[in-house]
Amino acid sequence: MIETFKEAVNAFSSPMTIFTGAVIFFALLAAFPKFFTSTPVASSILLIILVFFGIGLTDDHFRAIVSTPDNVPIVGMLFIFGYFTWFALRKAVENDERLAAGKPAREKEEAEEKVMVFPYLIYIEFVAALFYSIMLVLWSIFLKAPLEDPANPSVSPNPSKAPWYFLGLQEMLVYFDPWIAGVLLPTLIILGLCAIPYIDNDPKSSGFYSYQRRRHGIVIFLFGFWILWVLLIMMGTFLRGPNWNFFGPFEEWDVHKLVPLVNVNLSEFVFIKWLGAGLPKEWYLRELPGIVLVLIYFALPIFVLAGTVFKKFVGTFGAVRFSIYMILLLTMVALPVKMYLRWAFNLKYLVAIPEYFFNI
Amino acid sequence: MPSFSFKDFRLKTQVGKSIFRHGYSDDERDRALTVLTNVFFHLHPVKVRKSGARFGFTWCAGGLSFFVFLTLVVSGILLMFYYRPTVEYAYNDIIAMREHVPFGIMRELHRWGAHAMIITVWLHMFRVFMTGSYKPPREFNWVIGVILLVLTMLLSFTGYLLPWDQLAIWAITVGSNMARATPFLGHEGPGAALLKLGDIQLIHSGSDVRFALLGGNFVGAAALLRFYILHCVAIPVVVVILMAVHFWRIRKDGGISAPL
Amino acid sequence: MSDAPVLPPAPPAPNPKPVIPPKPAAGNAVSQERRQFIFTWLGLAWTAFALATGTALSTVLRFMFPNVLFEPKTSFKAGRPDDYEIGKVDERWKEKYGVWIVRTLEGIYALSVVCTHLGCTPNWLEGEQKFKCPCHGSGFYKTGINFEGPAPRPLERLRISLADDGQVLVDKSKKFQQEKGEWNDPESFLTP
Repeated sequence: MIETFKEAVNAFSSPMTIFTGAVIFFALLAAFPKFFTSTPVASSILLIILVFFGIGLTDDHFRAIVSTPDNVPIVGMLFIFGYFTWFALRKAVENDERLAAGKPAREKEEAEEKVMVFPYLIYIEFVAALFYSIMLVLWSIFLKAPLEDPANPSVSPNPSKAPWYFLGLQEMLVYFDPWIAGVLLPTLIILGLCAIPYIDNDPKSSGFYSYQRRRHGIVIFLFGFWILWVLLIMMGTFLRGPNWNFFGPFEEWDVHKLVPLVNVNLSEFVFIKWLGAGLPKEWYLRELPGIVLVLIYFALPIFVLAGTVFKKFVGTFGAVRFSIYMILLLTMVALPVKMYLRWAFNLKYLVAIPEYFFNI
Repeated sequence: MPSFSFKDFRLKTQVGKSIFRHGYSDDERDRALTVLTNVFFHLHPVKVRKSGARFGFTWCAGGLSFFVFLTLVVSGILLMFYYRPTVEYAYNDIIAMREHVPFGIMRELHRWGAHAMIITVWLHMFRVFMTGSYKPPREFNWVIGVILLVLTMLLSFTGYLLPWDQLAIWAITVGSNMARATPFLGHEGPGAALLKLGDIQLIHSGSDVRFALLGGNFVGAAALLRFYILHCVAIPVVVVILMAVHFWRIRKDGGISAPL
Repeated sequence: MSDAPVLPPAPPAPNPKPVIPPKPAAGNAVSQERRQFIFTWLGLAWTAFALATGTALSTVLRFMFPNVLFEPKTSFKAGRPDDYEIGKVDERWKEKYGVWIVRTLEGIYALSVVCTHLGCTPNWLEGEQKFKCPCHGSGFYKTGINFEGPAPRPLERLRISLADDGQVLVDKSKKFQQEKGEWNDPESFLTP
């Protein structure tokens, strides 16, 4: 029974199915936050996760991965962030209902009243710090910090992984070249985070939990945080094994697992498969279709959306702010787009100019 | 039989009065003075909105990030007494620390504290976003916060190399090689080949950002020393300065956010 | 200085548009002033200050690049050509110098063991006849050409020659990249 379940999970698991499943679940959550944060539904989800975990812990491989010292924080983080996402959305839904009924947000009522920092706030901080310290000491006593063999530059461990908080970036490296996954995307993540308050700068909905009032921003933020960051970290940590091959959660990490990786560049699709001609000699001719496609990807939505759906938006936003917003958003979406292109068509690069180390 | 009373010590002896300089904190005035006359409590205002004092609103995530930073400073200083950042000694010092030093969980406290700090800082950002607290007039403080978040991860990343084991060296090799691909500034980045004076390449493996980070062509002795300095001195100094700005701005931007 | 309010409005106005439109006359004056700025003594002083600061900072940057590196030697002698079997990838120097020596019917070449993706050390899989990188799964043929995974280009070959005493001499300081057409360079392979 359990074995069949584990085999089914393994058979179902692939980067595409897991990613797609997560996106579908996220879309449902974004569409029906009230349903998903209600106590029976949320507790059933928690129960399902716990049962899955419980079954997983009976599996030697799963247990070994999850209890690797450096992976423990990720498991903890999963539950902490799951809890706080639920908590924040539930508060938001509650406030939305109050606002819909013409009442002020709960925080608004309490904001009228002031309390002395000593003792009320300082004691909350003290108790929080106390519990935090206890947790940290217990964690340190029961889990040894990892120490492997002394450094040896000529033997790469298989797999070699970056620290866990960078594994999302390492997972992106499967789909993008280092200059994008390791430099451009992190830079844009940082700049994009910095830009948030300058793009979404309406102070009316600040200072309280709300979903309906700030739905647009919350959906983008949660998608970026959960799907493009935490999910990729989890995939990179738990499901990527030797040779960076993908393994199901209960699948033994076999060093000799053979995965055919025959990836094709867009230029080869266009010139060899569709046109039946050879690749042009000059790189700019060869990569012309890819370059045009990338330009269209970034330019077209901006102009189309500015003229149609987001017309009102552009008015209040201003053209510059709207363009920056769209470019950041499109770059964010480009990550899953490239991932799906890889999964569906084995596409390696849209633009490949190894002569200049420039591959997209 | 005379018994010791803390209250009497505070209110009646010269030593007690000199330390606290206000009455017992059971009325509003003395509670205000408790905050105002203490340099550490003084990070806070005297009064806050009730909504902002709720754990359910702040999750204490920012405060706990600061707290765990302090524990990391303390445990880190203790670790520095035993650790030598050289290829010959580093690994053995880590082992010695575990086996020859009493209270041998200091490295655990430091490592798990570092992981916990990253999670707490992310949680803090998450909470600030979900309550819309980044909006004007707090937008600049959000930017400072983002920089602090990046620095937190860099602190952890630079510390990751110091045990000088296989886990460390390869994580840093993979991580630092990404810098090779920095556009224009890394020798394998797009555009780097275009930067030249006549025939001389300006950006090569000995002059790019990765070299500046590692102090050599691969993760070796120089890289260990550079990461040690970055980890123990350079980045913490920047973090402390930015934290001061961050905390100060919370107050100047109107305290913990609340609905208009 | 402008007379714009320094403090943010205590409860920020619902519609945070700039409240005070700049006076047209003042606007002209400002832009004119700006145009003249760099020609004034003040402009000169600031430019000099910026240049001096920039120079000082770039010397600090230069400080991070030492003139002498204490890294291991880059060239080594790798025995006689006959020590290498035809058709085999030889791993004896991998540990010490980070080099594979491959002998084919045509000649001998030295491959750098640094993966062109992110610098991990690939493993030679005899059964599958390929180099496979453990970090991100890049695969390379015996020639060094990449054929799978994220590696953007083939492995690098190193300068190889015969020393005076008849031994194979590998010099790691000179690299030959296939995508630049450098593998045709006579120094990139050895015909014994």
